[in-house]
Amino acid sequence: MRRVVVTGIGVVSPLGNDAASFFEALAAGRSGVRRLSGRFHERLASPVGAPVDFDAARHFDAARVRMLDRVSQLALVAAAQAVGEARGFLDGLDRARGGVFVGTGMGGAHATDDGYHTLYGEGSDRLKPFTVLLSMANAPAAWIALEHRLEGPNLTYSTACSSSAVAIGEAARRIAHGEADAMIAGGAEAPLNFGTMKAWEALRTLAPADPADPSASCKPFAKDRAGLVLGEGAAMLVLEERERAAARGVHIHAEIAGYGLATDGVHLTRPSVEGQAAAMRLALADARMAPGDIGYVNAHGTGTQANDAVETAAIKRVLGAHAARVPVSSTKSMHGHLLGAAGALEMAAAILALGRGMVPPTRNLRAPDPECDLDYVAEGARAVPLGAVMSNSFAFGGTNAVLIARAA
Amino acid sequence: MSTFERLAQLLAAELALDPVRLVPEATLESLEIDSLRMIELAFAVEDAFGVTIGAEPAQLMARVKTLGDFAAYVDELLAAQAQGAGEAAP
Repeated sequence: MRRVVVTGIGVVSPLGNDAASFFEALAAGRSGVRRLSGRFHERLASPVGAPVDFDAARHFDAARVRMLDRVSQLALVAAAQAVGEARGFLDGLDRARGGVFVGTGMGGAHATDDGYHTLYGEGSDRLKPFTVLLSMANAPAAWIALEHRLEGPNLTYSTACSSSAVAIGEAARRIAHGEADAMIAGGAEAPLNFGTMKAWEALRTLAPADPADPSASCKPFAKDRAGLVLGEGAAMLVLEERERAAARGVHIHAEIAGYGLATDGVHLTRPSVEGQAAAMRLALADARMAPGDIGYVNAHGTGTQANDAVETAAIKRVLGAHAARVPVSSTKSMHGHLLGAAGALEMAAAILALGRGMVPPTRNLRAPDPECDLDYVAEGARAVPLGAVMSNSFAFGGTNAVLIARAA
Repeated sequence: MSTFERLAQLLAAELALDPVRLVPEATLESLEIDSLRMIELAFAVEDAFGVTIGAEPAQLMARVKTLGDFAAYVDELLAAQAQGAGEAAP
């Protein structure tokens, strides 16, 4: 089996639009969650979210913008950053052995929302000519492949909140199994349009705005946690076969050491300790690691009552005595829940933590919950030497994906 | 009609349950009301009673175990609303 390394990390996030700024904000415990003031947002019961400060005109000309839903814009910019950092990544690459795997939960949701508004809200019978091309779920992956002329496998995974962890895990496998030499893999999501947010509101999973401080509305693992806060953004990794990267002398962030995929199989939305634990166990086995090898767990940590207690129990079941010692944090407390892009953004956070020997905190955890009794790094970022890190992504539909990265 | 009777009527219509089973002691579990069904019910209760249920489904289900509990919870919401005090704590 060939080994797979990360040579580029691209990030467009509520905490900054490059990997270094993103991690700096995480380490400083800054929150990207704020009161939203976009179209119709005043009609939301809880008008908070984690938007990206992003001006499409800085990256694309007007004709191009008309072809790109916001989700594809964010994806393209993150991918270009990752490719730029992985210097020489495309040189000498057999284009048929280079691919793109992207995870997204909602796809081009802005185009869909705009289209419905035009038809039903305005009563018009004319939709924008490219509505199909903007809204199709595989647009981000397709655009990235076009931009970088990658002619190998191009797949879009949609497993709700684990979509992009799956995309990264599956892309790493393609390289490990010798079916590809280099891949761009990650996720993108743009769910802060009114229709998508209303749908989440109806499911009663969104946190109310914190009355004193909207930026503190997402409170993973806290007694007073009351739901998730939606965020938008994209994170893309360049994955390469290790020898190829080493021969080029490019900086290697980490090795993708393990990937575990397991399905709850019990309920559409209620998380299961056994399903989450199974994915963690499989990832450890894939990495040939023992629980004690994991130095940091980037938790799924959504801030819902259901997830955080179940995830805590699952971590304890898999890591045993080590669970009491290992730092576990939910960076969603700062960047919100990016749904299909969450797994990729959080894997990026975990890899950056690994490289810097710095564990980002869980923000807004002031009220402890007896059911959530791990070390959630609530007091602020912590400098810790790290050899390997785990990133958890669990989903509606029950598809649980866990990734492990090892220091290169 | 009492809150419980209105709630039972709503449940019979929403979930196509035999009204005979809809007694105050009936547990949500025995009626196969899980967290997703609860989201639908909360929506229907909000429409029918003109109240706002702010709680997450998991919080709501931690507190409301039986139909009698559910009716009592709705009564609290109605009372809180009448006082203009906002919603009852879940």
